[in-house]
Amino acid sequence: MAVRASNWGWNPAGRRRYALILLWTGHGLWAFFGQRPGELWARAAGLVARPAQGAASRWEGWREKRREQARTFAEVQAENTRLQARVAELELGVAREAPRLVEADEADRLLGLRRQIPLQLGAARVIHSTRPEAFGGLILDAGRDRGLVPDQGVLVPEGVVGRLWSVGASQSKILPADAPNASLAVMLARSRATGVLQGLSSGRAAIRYISNQEVVQVGEAVLTSGLDRVFPRGLLVGYVSEVVKGDLELHVTVQLSAPLDRIRLVLLLPSQPPLEVQEPFVAPEQHPARKRGAP
Amino acid sequence: MSRPVAQTRRQDLLCGLSLVMVFLCAPFPRLQAVFHVMLVLALAPRVGAPLRTALWAAAGGWALEGALRLYPHLGGTPWADMTMALLVAWMAGRWPIENLKGWLARLAALALLHTVVVHGAVRLAAGPHPWGSGWAWALLSLPLWGWALWRLLFAGPSPRRP
Repeated sequence: MAVRASNWGWNPAGRRRYALILLWTGHGLWAFFGQRPGELWARAAGLVARPAQGAASRWEGWREKRREQARTFAEVQAENTRLQARVAELELGVAREAPRLVEADEADRLLGLRRQIPLQLGAARVIHSTRPEAFGGLILDAGRDRGLVPDQGVLVPEGVVGRLWSVGASQSKILPADAPNASLAVMLARSRATGVLQGLSSGRAAIRYISNQEVVQVGEAVLTSGLDRVFPRGLLVGYVSEVVKGDLELHVTVQLSAPLDRIRLVLLLPSQPPLEVQEPFVAPEQHPARKRGAP
Repeated sequence: MSRPVAQTRRQDLLCGLSLVMVFLCAPFPRLQAVFHVMLVLALAPRVGAPLRTALWAAAGGWALEGALRLYPHLGGTPWADMTMALLVAWMAGRWPIENLKGWLARLAALALLHTVVVHGAVRLAAGPHPWGSGWAWALLSLPLWGWALWRLLFAGPSPRRP
């Protein structure tokens, strides 16, 4: 009897017995009451799990947002890469088109000059330059096939370039105005004194045969005089850069206005043009009109 | 290691294996029923250890229902399993097994009773449901697994003999 009483006490055997009763009775009640306890349990479990579900929902939302951001970032990166490739392509295109743009601009200016000079002017492209060499010149892509002959004047919008030195079947060579063996009939814009321009190389030239009695100022424009029958009168050649008085004549140094090292297109004057075709580029000084009958 | 301790551990190991097989055989309900009956009626019952008996039986019941997931309210099978395992354990203590034939006959009778009890408990918990054919497969295969368990658990000199 004492042993039986100890089985129901709070000892290991009793605890096992209580656990067994609780287990069996709990299962029986759970099964007997059917779905209602299940619903209550599910509701209670849902209530308890609500904070965790909220946290999980926020966590999932954060992850979705992060995924979306990563996707957006990847798209932006891809777009950036595409745009960089596009920019590089455009830059390459611009670099490829730059010489044509420069040439088109030059052609446009050449066309303007052609409209100003009422002569039958031809155009040609400079395909090569031998200027750094001794007695070098510029090679044009036109020759006898385009009706060119030696001693035709060559000019660009900035000023006179030189004359045709030799003409081949399909190419010609220009003797630039700064060549040592080049000469050009010029006159000074203000004093109207005439002389002969001889090249000194490097875009410079000297005017010979100007009396030291003439008054020549630095910066004075130098124009063609038309006396050589290569250029008509009044085309700009350059500007006086230095004047030194000599025993008999002035040593006048001229800076040529045409950029001889950067010429791509030129205009060709007709052979032996008329002396006067237009007013000089630099307007002469305005003299007061003499009254009729006045001495 | 004494004989009862070794036998208990072997029985626990077999219980665990059966439980795993109940889980793994979920795609094959007939085979699953065999392992379930084997666990509840032959492996879980221990004379003098009702709590362990009930726990293994409940585990087998929950494993079966959890793997099936067919009932709207679970719990009927573990309750019936616990009841049957406790009954078998009490019977084993009250009328000890003497030979293989008695063991097989008792298992067959208990298998039928187990089928009825489980069906009733599940009906009570989850409502009407089909009988299925698992009980028939358990009965058909009973000679095989009953004999095997007899050899594994009770072969050799009886622990009750000195």
